[in-house]
Amino acid sequence: MHDTAQPVDDRTNARRWAGHFDRPWRIAATGFAFACFGVGAVLLGFTIWPVLRLAARDAQAGLARVRCSMNIAMRLFVWLMHSLGLLTYEVHGRDRLARRGQLIVANHPTLIDVVFLVALLPEVECVVKQALWRNPFLRWPVAWAGYISNADGPELVAACARALAAGKSLLLFPEGTRGELCQARPMKRGAAQVALAAGVDLRPVTITCEPLTLRKGTPWYRVPRSRPHWVLSVGELIAVRRWLDSGEPRPASVRHLTLALTQYFERSAELQGAAMRGRRIST
Amino acid sequence: MNGSQEIFERLRDVLVELFEIDAQRITLDAHLYNDLEIDSIDTIDLILKLKELTGRKIQPEQFRHVRTVRDAVNALHDLMTKIA
Repeated sequence: MHDTAQPVDDRTNARRWAGHFDRPWRIAATGFAFACFGVGAVLLGFTIWPVLRLAARDAQAGLARVRCSMNIAMRLFVWLMHSLGLLTYEVHGRDRLARRGQLIVANHPTLIDVVFLVALLPEVECVVKQALWRNPFLRWPVAWAGYISNADGPELVAACARALAAGKSLLLFPEGTRGELCQARPMKRGAAQVALAAGVDLRPVTITCEPLTLRKGTPWYRVPRSRPHWVLSVGELIAVRRWLDSGEPRPASVRHLTLALTQYFERSAELQGAAMRGRRIST
Repeated sequence: MNGSQEIFERLRDVLVELFEIDAQRITLDAHLYNDLEIDSIDTIDLILKLKELTGRKIQPEQFRHVRTVRDAVNALHDLMTKIA
């Protein structure tokens, strides 16, 4: 009878050591990435962005340049996070985002959803929550990029309709803030209001993250046990014709479309998450 | 429309039709935003509908201080009795 204890070879040892250092490394690298983002936002806010806005021939050109620079910055930041070993990601249906003037809606499970989306969408105009204008780091990008505030409902709808009419793409998180979808907390009605007011179809992007991290309320240093993987899937257009033609009062249509949108994302996020977990188990 | 009770009942019907709210939830003390989820955009649609029903010009300012169903009934009552 040979000894039941397996001899430990060098590769297993190396993996064990790497495993020990993986999480501390990711905690340190996460802190570094947060610092880069914050410092970058402030630096750009006092140098490149003012120059881009003020040197442009008109307001619209200036805004376009700032947003373009944000697209480049976010692509660099995604590259940084990936290179540091903080995350992996995959994007499906990217070509569906190519067309301009789309109303893009996404669920919002993590803090960096907007980073991925701005990296995917050059010159996109974003609807952001009013609180960001008071954030010491984020106030600079949101102000210089001329993003739309969600503070005043009618003004939001009007500003979004103007942007879409001018052929700009618009990004809006129907939930209004980070969270996990559930029936008890349906999406807010802003996306439906804009879609019906502007008569524009909705382009959904389903975002899942496994293991889920950077949730609302999670401190930055609480990194998950294993490296998280983001999946962003751009879905087919959600046509609003049937709600526009329904003949029911606009507020009622808005509520029905919001419910349909909530159910769409619940279903797609569930399927996407299950597929991810299935892949992880089998690898 | 005359009499606060009739105004309340007509308003309730409008709220049910426009926002598909369960009629039982519409009480005089119900808060339009907190209880009935009627937001600022909905209020514009509501005022348009009330203009249509009453045949009166309604300025958004007249509804600025309306928070509950009772406030709305009172505002409508004032409106109806002003010119009549």
